[in-house]
Amino acid sequence: MATVALRDLRKSYANHEAIKGVTLDVEDREFVVFVGPSGCGKSTLLRMIAGLEEISAGDLLIDGKRVNDVGPAQRELAMVFQSYALYPHMTVADNMGFALKLAGVKTEERNAKVAEAARILQLEPYLQRKPGQLSGGQRQRVAIGRSIVRNPKVFLFDEPLSNLDAALRGQMRIELARLHEQLNATMIYVTHDQVEAMTMADKIVVLQAGVVEQIGSPLELYHHPRNVFVAGFMGSPRMNLLPATVTGADTNGVAISGPGGISVIVPVEPGSLRAGTKVTFGIRPEHLTVDPNGTLNGRAMIAERLGGLTLLHVELQDGTLLVVQTDGADATRLHEPVRLSISAPHAHVFGPDGLSAEHLRRNPLTV
Amino acid sequence: MPALASGAPKPGRLGAPWQAVILLGPALLAYGVFAVLPFLDVIRLSVMRWDGLSPHAAFIGLANFRFIFTEDAVFWTAFGNSVIWTLLSVAIPPAIGFALALGLNQKLRGRNALRAMFYLPVIIAPIAVATMWRWMYDPFFGIVNSLLTDAGLQRLIQDWLGDRRVALYAVFVAYVWQTAGFAMVLFLAGLSNVSPTLLEAARLDGANRAQCFRHVTLPALGSTITVVIVLSLINSFRTFDIVYGMTHGGPAQSTQLLAFWAYTQSMQLHDFGHGSAIAVVLLAVTALVVIPYLRWTQRREDAA
Repeated sequence: MATVALRDLRKSYANHEAIKGVTLDVEDREFVVFVGPSGCGKSTLLRMIAGLEEISAGDLLIDGKRVNDVGPAQRELAMVFQSYALYPHMTVADNMGFALKLAGVKTEERNAKVAEAARILQLEPYLQRKPGQLSGGQRQRVAIGRSIVRNPKVFLFDEPLSNLDAALRGQMRIELARLHEQLNATMIYVTHDQVEAMTMADKIVVLQAGVVEQIGSPLELYHHPRNVFVAGFMGSPRMNLLPATVTGADTNGVAISGPGGISVIVPVEPGSLRAGTKVTFGIRPEHLTVDPNGTLNGRAMIAERLGGLTLLHVELQDGTLLVVQTDGADATRLHEPVRLSISAPHAHVFGPDGLSAEHLRRNPLTV
Repeated sequence: MPALASGAPKPGRLGAPWQAVILLGPALLAYGVFAVLPFLDVIRLSVMRWDGLSPHAAFIGLANFRFIFTEDAVFWTAFGNSVIWTLLSVAIPPAIGFALALGLNQKLRGRNALRAMFYLPVIIAPIAVATMWRWMYDPFFGIVNSLLTDAGLQRLIQDWLGDRRVALYAVFVAYVWQTAGFAMVLFLAGLSNVSPTLLEAARLDGANRAQCFRHVTLPALGSTITVVIVLSLINSFRTFDIVYGMTHGGPAQSTQLLAFWAYTQSMQLHDFGHGSAIAVVLLAVTALVVIPYLRWTQRREDAA
């Protein structure tokens, strides 16, 4: 297995720069996920690593060796595509063995490797079928099998689950995580689905417009987003982000005054924040609670009842909307007054530059 | 109840069979009058003696066939020429069209203009193509010989359409010029169905350009290749206009083809019996070649 290092990697087209200098270290056996909204450059970045896109500037190192000018096959990577990209006229076995056949591996050895991959992925009954005779999930497994057979240094996945239905996606997520464990492989995985990123990654790279917004473990991004973009992107339902003003700052934290009567002291490093500074106040739906003694007054306008939990869309007195995550058994009635309280230690303050003020105490899972 | 819904049309509406009749009727009528009736009539005439004018045609059994097979020397010349013509037509224009399609499928400047240019001959009337090439081949004023002279290749100068050793091939070059664009367009359509992701997957699997072509592009073009081959085959069997416009089958029947000989027998020599018999033979040969080929490719695709 192997390490991958990106050093100020850039990709420019005739009139715009798609990747604006990405530096990243992927450790041996690490599961790294590139996540970001569509058009952020995550697929381009993956394709640059794969060798399918030329690198305009910067260095790409695999196992410490610069491979910018090495062809895709010689980089010893395997890629799983969103569309599966199986050869339609070949059987499952031939699809999986194709790379080995091209490499001149003997039939016996090839068959043994294909059989082994088929066993791991439970594809044995389908080896003689053509891709057209398989379901979406089976095709995806064949595509994964094709990459396993080659025993590559690094596995690359380009949104591999987005053509599957929700149930299958959940199942494949678990299978991929298990596979990562079993193969002890270095994996780089691209998705726009932050649930996939959160559940599978050792390390998440959040990209926007060709720039890395933050690199960190899933919980680090969740609890300590570096800026407003990451805070808004990671987590579902989304973090509530409201314009607010600093009313005071000392070693205990920063006092904030926001719309709808929000007034709270958030335990973060004041840094350059002073009374009067315009900031963005962030609070996740699960850190707001329906509380008869709460300080915020509003009305629940919509309730999304998911069974296990309920999402209340609460309108504060001045019209500000907040999403509140409550228990599935929550009995709040629509259009009637409701009081909310804010869990201040979990709140976030983003300065005028969009950057997050450092929490005085980090979440214990992220230390 | 679905059975009822599909079985009984709602009042005031025509049922599906009637809709089909109305929509297909005009086309079927035209097809019947201009294709099926003449087709049946040719089979009828092939067992008759008829000069095309007299009110009576006499039934003479298979005498026409006996005549063309045993007494008509030109028939066998035309048959031989048609075999050569067909073999060349199935091989060369599709091959050139394929090469053009591969070239013009690359990202290059002005490729749409080039595509249009190579397709242009297809839409020119064959008789105009024939006239153009006849001029170009003119032994004294034609551009072909004049270019050869300019290039210092006087020894290659020919009476292109007047020499029976080269006339058939000279006509064939004009035919290639006219038909290669057609194959190109079909192949371009086929190539647009080749998934770029599949080619990328093959590259990652370690395939070089030739292997990508062999294992990804070519299999994806299977049905296109069948269509192009079948159409080339049928078109070559019925080649007529270009011969008519360039050589009239001459010199010394060296460019005589079956379709043209059928026409000559019927329309020039007023022997509709012989002409029709030749046409029937042509039809039989076409069917004998095309139908097994189609069945073979069908089986192969079903297996895939």
